[in-house]
Amino acid sequence: MNELVVNRPTNVDRRTALREAARAVAGAVLPALPAGYTSRPAMRRSLRAAQSFDSSALPPAPPLGAIVLHRLGFGPRPGDMTAWQSLGANDDARLVAWVDQQLNPAAINDTVANTRLAASGFTTLNKSLVQLWQDHHLTDPPWEIREQPFYEVEMATFVRAIHSQRQLFERMVEFWHNHFSVYGYDFLIGPTWAAYDRDVIRANALGNFRTLLEAVTKSNAMLYYLNNSVNSVDGPNENYAREVQELHTLGAENYFGAIPASQVPRDGTGRALGYCDEDVTAVARCLTGWTLRDRSWDPNFGDTGEFFYYHPWHDTGAKTFLGVNIPAGQPAMKDGRDVLDILATHPGTAKFICKKLCRRFVADQPPQSLVDAAVATFLANTAAPDQLKRVMRTIALSAEFKTTWGQKTKRPFEAAVGMFRAAGGDLPFRLDDNQATSWFSWMFYQTGHPLFQWHPPNGYPDVKEAWKTTSPKVMTWRLANMLVQVDNGAGQYYLNVIGQTPANVRTAWQITTYWTERLLGYFPPTEEFEILLDFMAQGRNPHVNLPFDTDEDTRDRVRALVAVIFMSPSFHFR
Amino acid sequence: MSQVTRRGFLMGCSAAIAGLAGARFNSMAFAQGGVNNEEILVVVFLRGGVDGLNLVPPIGGADRGFYEAARPTIKIPVSGVGAALPLGGGFGLHPAAAALHPLYQAGKLAIVQAVGLNVVNRSHFDAMQFVELGTPGSRAISSGWLTRHLASAANLPSEIVMPSLAIGDLQPASLLGDLETINIANPDQFSLDNGPWQWRSAQRVALRDLYQGGTTWQHQSGVQALDALDIVELNVAGGYTPANGAVYPNSGFGDHLKVLAQMIKLDLGLQVATVDVGGWDTHEEEGGATGYFANLVSDLSAGLAAFYTDLDGAGAQNYTNRLTVVVQSEFGRELRENSDSGTEHGYGNQMFVLSGNAIGGLHGTWPTLAPGALTDGTDLAVTTDYRRVLSEILIRRMGNNRLGQIFPNYANYAPLGVVAGTDLAPDYSTTGDTIFSDGFENATTSRWSSVSG
Repeated sequence: MNELVVNRPTNVDRRTALREAARAVAGAVLPALPAGYTSRPAMRRSLRAAQSFDSSALPPAPPLGAIVLHRLGFGPRPGDMTAWQSLGANDDARLVAWVDQQLNPAAINDTVANTRLAASGFTTLNKSLVQLWQDHHLTDPPWEIREQPFYEVEMATFVRAIHSQRQLFERMVEFWHNHFSVYGYDFLIGPTWAAYDRDVIRANALGNFRTLLEAVTKSNAMLYYLNNSVNSVDGPNENYAREVQELHTLGAENYFGAIPASQVPRDGTGRALGYCDEDVTAVARCLTGWTLRDRSWDPNFGDTGEFFYYHPWHDTGAKTFLGVNIPAGQPAMKDGRDVLDILATHPGTAKFICKKLCRRFVADQPPQSLVDAAVATFLANTAAPDQLKRVMRTIALSAEFKTTWGQKTKRPFEAAVGMFRAAGGDLPFRLDDNQATSWFSWMFYQTGHPLFQWHPPNGYPDVKEAWKTTSPKVMTWRLANMLVQVDNGAGQYYLNVIGQTPANVRTAWQITTYWTERLLGYFPPTEEFEILLDFMAQGRNPHVNLPFDTDEDTRDRVRALVAVIFMSPSFHFR
Repeated sequence: MSQVTRRGFLMGCSAAIAGLAGARFNSMAFAQGGVNNEEILVVVFLRGGVDGLNLVPPIGGADRGFYEAARPTIKIPVSGVGAALPLGGGFGLHPAAAALHPLYQAGKLAIVQAVGLNVVNRSHFDAMQFVELGTPGSRAISSGWLTRHLASAANLPSEIVMPSLAIGDLQPASLLGDLETINIANPDQFSLDNGPWQWRSAQRVALRDLYQGGTTWQHQSGVQALDALDIVELNVAGGYTPANGAVYPNSGFGDHLKVLAQMIKLDLGLQVATVDVGGWDTHEEEGGATGYFANLVSDLSAGLAAFYTDLDGAGAQNYTNRLTVVVQSEFGRELRENSDSGTEHGYGNQMFVLSGNAIGGLHGTWPTLAPGALTDGTDLAVTTDYRRVLSEILIRRMGNNRLGQIFPNYANYAPLGVVAGTDLAPDYSTTGDTIFSDGFENATTSRWSSVSG
């Protein structure tokens, strides 16, 4: 890959636009297109003045199978659309079958992904929290060893998203990591990152919200990240207390600001409809003493990295939270657990979480009817061990889900994973691969979406306004060009476009049809297809066999075509 | 939507841009007549709530006593090692901000004290939205204040290659809804020069066709990206050597300011740029004259000073004469340090204005740190609405008096005197532009930063 870029002329693009203009003026040979397609020289359109856009215009919806695979999974792999067809007699039956299968991930055979993970040679993913703390922190190892659990989770997340059959589960993991977002590449947090990913996020991704919330609250990662590890009666620290309400449960929409708690409106039971600054203080007090064992010099603590409730640090006085009395002198951890109980069962929390889920899986501005339905499921199952599974089932099987398309753009992670999946590609994803994996990691970082590295605690944005801007867009396009060319240094392409083009696919028409349908999972709007065909035919009859098997330029053109499809509007709609 | 068609941004045509490559686009556009605004406004946002009381601590009087009592661990000393750098008026500058001290002494740095939102809000994400959308107390609007400035300014050239630039991976809320903004983190990487080489040109043609062939938001964004690529690829080549021997700190912020200086010097008509700096949420181990916060301040100050130097004087075409840099944050921090040697979210704060046209010195009404003067008994009060400072820059420097559009519901503007320039009567009308009724995003529902959390 590197050689390809370095050894060839690098001044071409500086003149690209001029050449485009020149060619446009010269005109182009009209490609002969089959009946049903109007031919038009691509370059002519380049000279059009800026067209007007329509803020409400949406693309035509693809078949339901494609919607499901792009939105509830990370995009179709070869064969996935065929498998979808075999799931039932009609789309409704197929959707129920697919969703119910996916919501029971333990029953899905994932041998391929597990074998693939094993091939990456990771050594930290199965270590216990205590072992991680011992091996990657207490020994004060060099930075690469200290952060090894972080790096391995980062790579394993790609491997799983690309290869796992448990696509919806991986989507949920992505959602909760982003909801309970922690900047993981950190001195104290990186060493136990594998435990946060495994024991907190993955263990509860389709489970119960209250259980997940407490697991997060007690996690090494969150205790450090939002400072509750040092929250004590003598020195309350409000950082987590505020964000657990604003970002993890009730949401900013239920923040009443600096007004007195007595002025926050109440529901029929006397519970406040939202929180104010006094509630932030109350939660901080309730969570005093929720810390971890990280003090080798203090025998009360020890230094194992585990969660630890230290009663002398706890503020035992009475508190009032959201209008609910929390009496003085409660047993160990009861104050904090009362807070988590109140938060996890509050209608404001249900609305905030469900709206975020609908935003992730349906549309940036999800239909209120859908949010309401999800909220009802959430609140009716607050004690159910599979509460989140039930909420997701409500969302995925809704009429709103089936009829919505194109209101979201893929974030760089899902776009990149989708490229690997659609093209049957892979990378070593090994710590010791300082070639392709390193290049990929570095280029992916440039998209603005490196995994687990959003600094503030609100998680990466999940609306198109953030991701349709120029930097993420161009950097994601750039990634596509990289992926179609990257090889192992011995001529073996990691994303083998040429090797995967069937032997009977040799004309521009066949090649464009094959790769377009395969990469998108559906046939794009005619106009998009024509442009791709123009690109592949380059002014010649698209029904003539190309010198695919003998001419490296032609092969490069096919690789370039695949990259353009990866960069096309259709590839990025969700 | 409206601003695209009105100014014909970029013409959506690589050939036209190519035809202008090499020419100083800005001067050409300006030559078309009319009184055009050549000012450049840079907004540096300190994410997380900068501790203004340690950035500009009191070094004398009764406030010094309140300050020292509240901050036994993290206070900045008034003498000896790590002493605050005197600013006059009983205040000093954090010692790690030494790089800015000469600029202050030269009258190029105005510091507004006790500035902030007119509503108390201690949520980072709410407060940032309020500041950047320009609508304190509400997040309902679908565009940022800089977006509305660009949309309402009557003195912009009819065509600008690059009106607004967001340095960094993502576009901030102050430029929400602006479809012309280029956001860029690394110009050397901002290119599609890595495709199979003999098909790169054809790829670009195909991409432009694909994105110009539709009308959705996705198509709009693709065209915007392609236009940005044309501009950057045609103009950014090779390395960049700062003028006047300016040395940027080796940091993300330093890199970003260097990129910005480079883009400014391309003369592409840049009006507005944003740069973000994170890490200011100092709940623990903040440090005093040295330590975590001091390191951030050092990076900030060294970066700003290098940026100013790089654009200053005849050696740099006197860009600083038409450059205004605003440094702001979402809120200040509590007066009292917490037991973790950090500070909790507060309210009133400082704002910096760095410009060749600055009226240097301390500005605003100091409310004092006396217990009775603190907001909620804990925080520095706000005596100056942040919109007053920005409005003055908009009017006196940018020549845009459309305050009703930029800051709806803001009234009674009067200049504070932080920058020199010509005063204009504020226009508080909110009508006359389609951006409120016909923004690209649905005004009633778009709340992206808040809901992303």
